[in-house]
Amino acid sequence: MKRARGSHWWRRSRLNEYASSVGIIALTTVLALLLRPHLQITDVAMLFLLAVVVVAYRHRRGPALLASLLSIAAFDFGFIPPYNAFQVNDAAYFLTFGVMLAVALTMSQLTARIGEQAEDAGERERRTAALYALSRELNADGSLQAQTTTAARHISADVGGEALVFLDGWGKDSQGQAWPSEGVFGSLAVRVAATWAYEHGESAGWGTSHCAESETLVVPLRAASRTIGMVTVRPESADRALSETERRTIEALADLAAAAFERTALAERHERARVEVESERLRTALLSSLSHDLRTPLGSIEGAASSLLQGDLPAEAQREMAETILEESRRMTRLVTNLLDMVRVESGSLAVQKAWQPLEEALGVALLRVEERLATHPIDTRLPATLPLVPIDELLIEQVFINLLENAAKHTPAGTPITVTAWQDHNAVVVEVADRGPGVPAGEEEAVFRKFQRSSGADRVSPAGGSGLGLTICRGIIGAHGGRIWLEPTEVGATFRFSLPLDGPRMDAMPAELQES
Amino acid sequence: MATLAPLLLLIEDEPQMRRFLRATPKAHGYQVVEAATAREGLAQAAGRNPELILLDLGLPDLDGLEVVRTIRRSARTPVIVLSARGQEQDKVAALDLGADDYLTKPFGASELLARIRVALRRSALPPGAPTEPVFQTGELRVDLVRRQVFRGEEEAHLTPTEYRLLAALIRHAGRVSTHRQLLEEVWGANYADQSHYLRVYMAQLRHKLERDPTRPRLLTTEPGVGYRLRDGEG
Repeated sequence: MKRARGSHWWRRSRLNEYASSVGIIALTTVLALLLRPHLQITDVAMLFLLAVVVVAYRHRRGPALLASLLSIAAFDFGFIPPYNAFQVNDAAYFLTFGVMLAVALTMSQLTARIGEQAEDAGERERRTAALYALSRELNADGSLQAQTTTAARHISADVGGEALVFLDGWGKDSQGQAWPSEGVFGSLAVRVAATWAYEHGESAGWGTSHCAESETLVVPLRAASRTIGMVTVRPESADRALSETERRTIEALADLAAAAFERTALAERHERARVEVESERLRTALLSSLSHDLRTPLGSIEGAASSLLQGDLPAEAQREMAETILEESRRMTRLVTNLLDMVRVESGSLAVQKAWQPLEEALGVALLRVEERLATHPIDTRLPATLPLVPIDELLIEQVFINLLENAAKHTPAGTPITVTAWQDHNAVVVEVADRGPGVPAGEEEAVFRKFQRSSGADRVSPAGGSGLGLTICRGIIGAHGGRIWLEPTEVGATFRFSLPLDGPRMDAMPAELQES
Repeated sequence: MATLAPLLLLIEDEPQMRRFLRATPKAHGYQVVEAATAREGLAQAAGRNPELILLDLGLPDLDGLEVVRTIRRSARTPVIVLSARGQEQDKVAALDLGADDYLTKPFGASELLARIRVALRRSALPPGAPTEPVFQTGELRVDLVRRQVFRGEEEAHLTPTEYRLLAALIRHAGRVSTHRQLLEEVWGANYADQSHYLRVYMAQLRHKLERDPTRPRLLTTEPGVGYRLRDGEG
């Protein structure tokens, strides 16, 4: 809706209204003169009254007043004896004149009121639409950052100037007085207006009565309890005037935005608090999990070693004790290794040293390392000969294979096979480790990658259990390689897949003289 | 005579680890002298003239790599370095400086004894001594004179590069070879950083010589360090 009315346009429209008023009365006079032989004088008065009503209805008070005066003059001049003179013999006609005048004034008053009401309604509708559009977008925005951008864009679009949003902590120093000395705050007048607006919680600058020398409008962002920032609106051109309604619309938009900002800031604060509570809960879980997992093997080792020291055990029992010590210390080694890996993944100190190599080699090392523990699970490997070299950190990817294979063995009955497959998919190699066990319960596809997530007891086949870190470490390592790991939905068993992007350090092609046919 | 039992020098600061490292070789007929610091170890190495040195890389007084360098300046005594997981770069550096082999803690008694045996056997040969004309381990038989390679009764046909790689591994049989060492021996010093050459040829060798190339028994990977050709010692 075009709102800017130039003063010329305004003046011309006024003149037109007066001209139209004169025209209508002239027309009425001509009509009345033509009909004079057939009409009673009261009928003529009615005719003029109708003309005045029409003018008053169509135009403002000025033209209506003019119309009534012209009507009185014409009526008096042409229809009241003596004709063709402004003389009135019968005083009763003054009453007719008075009624004409009163009707014109009342009608134009009513019309003006209706017009104003219509204009108000239009303005309200427009403002509501603007507010609605802004509120819908603010709700869709997730972050405070996005919301401020949205609010600035909407206000700019509404006024057709440049609107900027400043939140506390961005532009203000701790005293709440100083504003940045660059950008829109480069002008001293704007800084003064901003300070005034901030302190009084009211708009200042352009289009207001406060600090009007500021060429920019400053609207405070009033939240429930306090002012949380500023919106500045700079007009497109210096001679652009800001109407009261326009300013009120901007203020309404600013109030709406302020409420949204406050809500989002609160939500963000709550989220941070929630994360803190959650990580505290995890720390507690870690502690209890660790104390159990470390104490159990330590207890066995201490017990077995002290039995050995007693020295009176039969050879068979001595051997059993020694085996217990060996097994339990290996279990502790695995646990500690996992914990250290977890720390590296979490602290972000996982330095990935990628080198181009065949996947077969990393898998081979992992297969040998888990051989003893996975003796009861046949492992079928299907790596096509055409698989390209992949840029990986071999030690880390080995660990991924080990964790996935141990995870599969842990959750499947002895004798069920595990399959390792790999293929190239566009610019990545995808690896799949699939078992034929009970699978992962629906809805827990993501949960399995969380820290200390252990499957519910019913699925547990091996009593060895695990640290609950294996898959989390896998996700960390694959993520550090720029790939991703997920649980592929399948009918039977659990199928883990991970992708390794085929971009890494430059790989020098082998010089021709070193190549063999 | 005391000289019949080989003398091992053990440089390790952890007393418990020292106890294990001392007891195991002693039970298998070796003599062991111990040092708890690098300086003491270097003094022992010079004074006692051990036949093999077990060196922990994480000593409190001197960098383990510095110890390797100092020993190599004056002696060819085999050195086996001991270190924890995650210190692959230190192991590689020690090996490239002339250490003979490594053990990653924790390791078992059988691994320790196997490494000691391989290292002592290598040092028993005078430098530059001709290798046996035929190398055999498990199913693999390599006639180094005729340059023929057999898996069981069947001859495996290797390309010249594959053969050079296999020959290099045979020269280090039982011991670890770092990527750099193999690249320099097979392709030359200019290609010491092109580890993907080596990995590609190693995969080809495995496909020709191993029963199951994804579970190599002969040509094993030493993760982050290099390769080892197993020769029946473990």
